[in-house]
Amino acid sequence: MSKSVTHLAMAAAVALACTVFGTAWAAEISIPPDPGARDAHTLVSFACSKCHGPHANGISISPLFPILAGQNSIYIQEQLKLLRQHSRADPHARAFMWGISHALTDQQIVGLAQYFSSQPAVSGRPSTNPELAAKGKEIYENGVPEPHRVIKCIECHGENSAGTNTVPRLAGQHAGYMALQLHYYRDGLRENKLMNRNVKNITDDQIAAVIEYIGTLSGETSPNDTSPPASPDDSSN
Amino acid sequence: MLLAQPARAIPPFARQTGLACEACHTLPPELTPFGRRFKLSGYTLTTRPPLVNDIDDYKRNTLWLTDLPGIAVLAQLNYSHYNRAPPDTGQPYPAHAQSDTFQFPDQFSLAYAGAVSDKVGAWMQLTYNGQAGSVGIDNIDIRYSDHTYDNKWLWGITANNYLTFQDVWNGIGSYTIPNFNTVSLATGGVAGAGTTGPILNALGPGVVAGIGAYVFWNDSLYFEVTAYHSAVAGGSSPVVDSVSLAANGGAVDRFAPYARIAYERDWGYHSAEIGGSALYVNWIPSVGYISKQQQLAANEAAIAAGTPGTPPYTPSQTFNPGVINRYTDLSVDWQYQYNGQHNIFGFLGHVTHERQQNSNQLVAATFTGASSPVYSNPTDTLTQAVVTGEYFYNRRYGGLVSLTRTRGTWDPLLNGGNGSPANQYETFELDYVPWLNFRLILQYDVYQVVANNQSPFNLSNATFPNSPGFTNIRAGDNNTWVLGLWMDY
Repeated sequence: MSKSVTHLAMAAAVALACTVFGTAWAAEISIPPDPGARDAHTLVSFACSKCHGPHANGISISPLFPILAGQNSIYIQEQLKLLRQHSRADPHARAFMWGISHALTDQQIVGLAQYFSSQPAVSGRPSTNPELAAKGKEIYENGVPEPHRVIKCIECHGENSAGTNTVPRLAGQHAGYMALQLHYYRDGLRENKLMNRNVKNITDDQIAAVIEYIGTLSGETSPNDTSPPASPDDSSN
Repeated sequence: MLLAQPARAIPPFARQTGLACEACHTLPPELTPFGRRFKLSGYTLTTRPPLVNDIDDYKRNTLWLTDLPGIAVLAQLNYSHYNRAPPDTGQPYPAHAQSDTFQFPDQFSLAYAGAVSDKVGAWMQLTYNGQAGSVGIDNIDIRYSDHTYDNKWLWGITANNYLTFQDVWNGIGSYTIPNFNTVSLATGGVAGAGTTGPILNALGPGVVAGIGAYVFWNDSLYFEVTAYHSAVAGGSSPVVDSVSLAANGGAVDRFAPYARIAYERDWGYHSAEIGGSALYVNWIPSVGYISKQQQLAANEAAIAAGTPGTPPYTPSQTFNPGVINRYTDLSVDWQYQYNGQHNIFGFLGHVTHERQQNSNQLVAATFTGASSPVYSNPTDTLTQAVVTGEYFYNRRYGGLVSLTRTRGTWDPLLNGGNGSPANQYETFELDYVPWLNFRLILQYDVYQVVANNQSPFNLSNATFPNSPGFTNIRAGDNNTWVLGLWMDY
């Protein structure tokens, strides 16, 4: 009996669905459910938006997930390819992005990168802890000298942290996300030859300070920003 | 009505989406904001390409099958130890029952979970219940879901067999935290025992099935209306058979409407929800009621047949469809969740108020039957509050404290003893999760107040005629240690 009730319920649900939402269904008949055939906006709406911004704007709510709005297109493409081939292997990459990116085509990756990079970016805000931000500014612009050497961030990420091509924009990014990534880089959980070396000696206090400062940056491209000599991102694998 | 707890997490969802458990769960079965949206989207999110695909002449998909169906195996085992061994009601004291029990397994399930098409998904579960010793249909939820282009509106239809199984928050309903299916008094582990709760928690697999519609607006406001009808497992169809009614203690008459509203706000690592629900049930109780007309007719038939004095009706079999109790349940629930990089904590719970209008044919003062009245009061009320706090570190170590308080009108005929339905108990739980799909649980349930008919010890000592020496009974005799294991694959 329960079986027949189940069938009845299922049939009724589907019948009702087709009746009520027939128009919406019909409007999307040109989009097959094959993930490989979805366009960028459909992908964002269907999948990415669940973590990277509920309104498909690339602005995530939880700092567990990065803000992608206004991020550099080339950087997003590189990351998606690294995630797809499991080369970027930090814990969150494994948990969230390895699976979700594995079936993306190169064309979809370009589409997604263009989609998110064209969304209005988030700018920094004045710090509520100017003293800490000042310490961070010092690290950001001049690094930390030997023997606990930390390379200055400004060299690659630019004066306002807009990034360039393969270097990510940091301005407006969630502080919690950046802090986690710096821990990953420092502890070798996220592999990247340049970043692993650059922040090898950074302390938790210095991470807090530099992130406080980055949080104040506008993300506007500065005339002094230039592409770094080599791709600084996850290319070690 | 004692129900198995639903399974807690489904690896097929992970295989389908490519996402680890933590995407959807803080710790199963509690959902993260992402998990809530996955469920509301009809379990359809997938990254697996189809192995078999078909379209019609209008390019509409007519079939979409992946290489592997989303089948899961789920198991719960536990060992429970009671503070005191209850007396053996069939033998003179000092004969007594054992004070501990091994449930191996407590539950063992096979489930399909995942997308059926791009807009339809399902969760269908078959469970062996260790206490019942039988296999039966467990939770089923079939969903259709779609959303607008800008994601402002998400809507769906759910057909399910467990009231509140479709809910996506964990302060109330089938996935209330704590959720581990302990064999303790609180989950009816001892035959005949089980703490009293509202009917809201009791309309599950084998009792009801319902169809409902929901909308989720602006990623924050949820509204749902679902109607449930009786779907008695193992009974005749339509439901007229007194035997099948007896199996579940009764059945829903016509449709029971259920409405749910909730508002969620997420910011940073935080997620907060406040909601409410309303349920109205016309309930046909299986009470062995014999109307005087039935008895008269039966006697006349017996006399006509030449066998006076042996009417074919017996209290244990007879059912009168005119006897209906009316339940109205109103609930408020809340959930706060901090879902950080290493630390997770939550504060959640609900308050439910139930008004039970008993059929005047069954109430002592207005009883019209030929056997015995069932209720002392025309109207009984019950209020239950459950408040839970939890903390987990790195999804590996953690625990929770949960308080349950139930109060209500005293109805000696319904509840036995002095008539109180009250109970008051706490659950303390420690969890160790070495792998996300393998969880060890140590739980201790502490009882301050237990009503007479809920306890295996029967606090009034009225049902132990063979055990006059079994004295000094107190609520704490029901305290229970539980060592549990939950795993799935």
